Amino acid sequence: MTRAAAVRRVAGALALAAALPGRAAAQKAQWTDVVYVPGFWSAGRIAPRPDSLALVMRVDYFSAPPQWRAEIRRTTDGQTLGNPDILVGSGTQAVVVTPLGTTPLEQHALGNDPLVRALVVFDQTGRPKGPAAGRITERGADGSVTRVVYRRQVQNPDFDTRLLDPGNRAGGRTLLASGITRVGDQRSASVVATAGARGVDRVKTPGGDVPVTPDPAAVARMEHFAVGSVALEGFMRAGGLGPYAAAGDSTGRHP
Amino acid sequence: MTRRVLARRVARKLGVAALLLAVPVGSARAQSLLDRMRQAASIARTLLPISTEKEIEIGRNIAATIAGRFPVSTDMALTRYVTLVGLTVASQGPRPDIVYRFAVLETPIVNAYAAPGGYIFITRGSLALIQNEAELAGVLAHEVGHVNRRHVIEGIRKSDTMREVRNAVDIQGATLDAVVGTGTNALFTGLSRGDELEADSLGLEYAAGAGYDPGGLAAFVHRLDQHAGEGPVSEFFATHPKPDERVERLTAIAQREGLTGGVTLAERYRANVMK
Repeated sequence: MTRAAAVRRVAGALALAAALPGRAAAQKAQWTDVVYVPGFWSAGRIAPRPDSLALVMRVDYFSAPPQWRAEIRRTTDGQTLGNPDILVGSGTQAVVVTPLGTTPLEQHALGNDPLVRALVVFDQTGRPKGPAAGRITERGADGSVTRVVYRRQVQNPDFDTRLLDPGNRAGGRTLLASGITRVGDQRSASVVATAGARGVDRVKTPGGDVPVTPDPAAVARMEHFAVGSVALEGFMRAGGLGPYAAAGDSTGRHP
Repeated sequence: MTRRVLARRVARKLGVAALLLAVPVGSARAQSLLDRMRQAASIARTLLPISTEKEIEIGRNIAATIAGRFPVSTDMALTRYVTLVGLTVASQGPRPDIVYRFAVLETPIVNAYAAPGGYIFITRGSLALIQNEAELAGVLAHEVGHVNRRHVIEGIRKSDTMREVRNAVDIQGATLDAVVGTGTNALFTGLSRGDELEADSLGLEYAAGAGYDPGGLAAFVHRLDQHAGEGPVSEFFATHPKPDERVERLTAIAQREGLTGGVTLAERYRANVMK
């Protein structure tokens, strides 16, 4: 199939979906999957070890059947999560949002990655499949663990459904997910361009006015400090927080 | 705030401003007209958009003033721990445009501060009173709530400092200094009761959403009440609503929303803070 034909096919599926009754009442859902595979990160590669799990990606899902969107942050070194790749889809059809437009997943390099293909967790009507929350363990034919997913639902999801539309080129690259993984890694080197020209201030406090000399260098240190998104994932996992909260077993069904 | 709520709020304010100007007045009422125009201008000021970039610029300068009043801790292990807890709760908030930064202030005073743009501080005095990670998460989530609702920025927009400002681009030089002073004073003398209670609700939501014991913030506020009258907590009492009111409200919200369970992580807190 040519790329143009594939895009037409996805567009056709979307138009059909839009015509289906009850679309307006589609229930929004939002959840996060953190995906691990057996092994551990060593020198930028995952070395096999059955009793250990290596983080490979974090995926933020947004769903309003039949449409959905996945913002995927992968790690290639086990240290940081990279810039997001964005999939949008309708039912089982998915396209990759690129700076220039969209490309069907099967024609994009991402489509060669079985871990990415496994992210299309929707049936033909766009309803998400599988448990709503908890730890999901997938096994191969020989019974060995192939993938472990920690899933956490977001309560009362509130997002702009226009960003689930592959035809929305202007907004397609706008991120819906919280910038938390970006935050974990972000440092800023040019931080005090505007803080530093001021001299001694007098500030009001409950105990009266006090003189203060602003300390822009301290703010520069704050802005330069970063904990790392993978470290943040490890912190949450160790504490049973975020996607790892009550992750002992998978529970419930998607709405 | 959703776009719809924001649009309704803007429409309401525009309507009030238009009404104030539309009321017919005679020439003998020139002063009255002038007063109305001032009122209308005051309302219009609250509509002046302040971009995220400008919010961060203002917040960075306020943060520098906070760091000037109290030294920022150079204990990087402690800063890292506080940052990890802070980011865990911040991930529950709806502002992907903000990069949250966390720091510890070396002072026995019990308080926490949230400058616009995501600069959040907690004092050593607070850390000494906090007993577990869920309480710390509750306090930091409360501060994240202030940032996410732009409480300081909204206060600045309504202030006299903005009288001569017609565009957010004008907020530079001496005007920026004045705006930063207004924002810093608001932080050090206390935000409005409504802002504090809203931050409590959001803090509870974020901390519980992250998987922490939803009673963390209420437990900390209750403990502060037991220390009432002691020097280090006096500033906190002067800048926040009464603890018993906050505890009662937080408990009611948790019950209404069915928020139960969650982790407290007391051991991890002790290992990282009480070393």
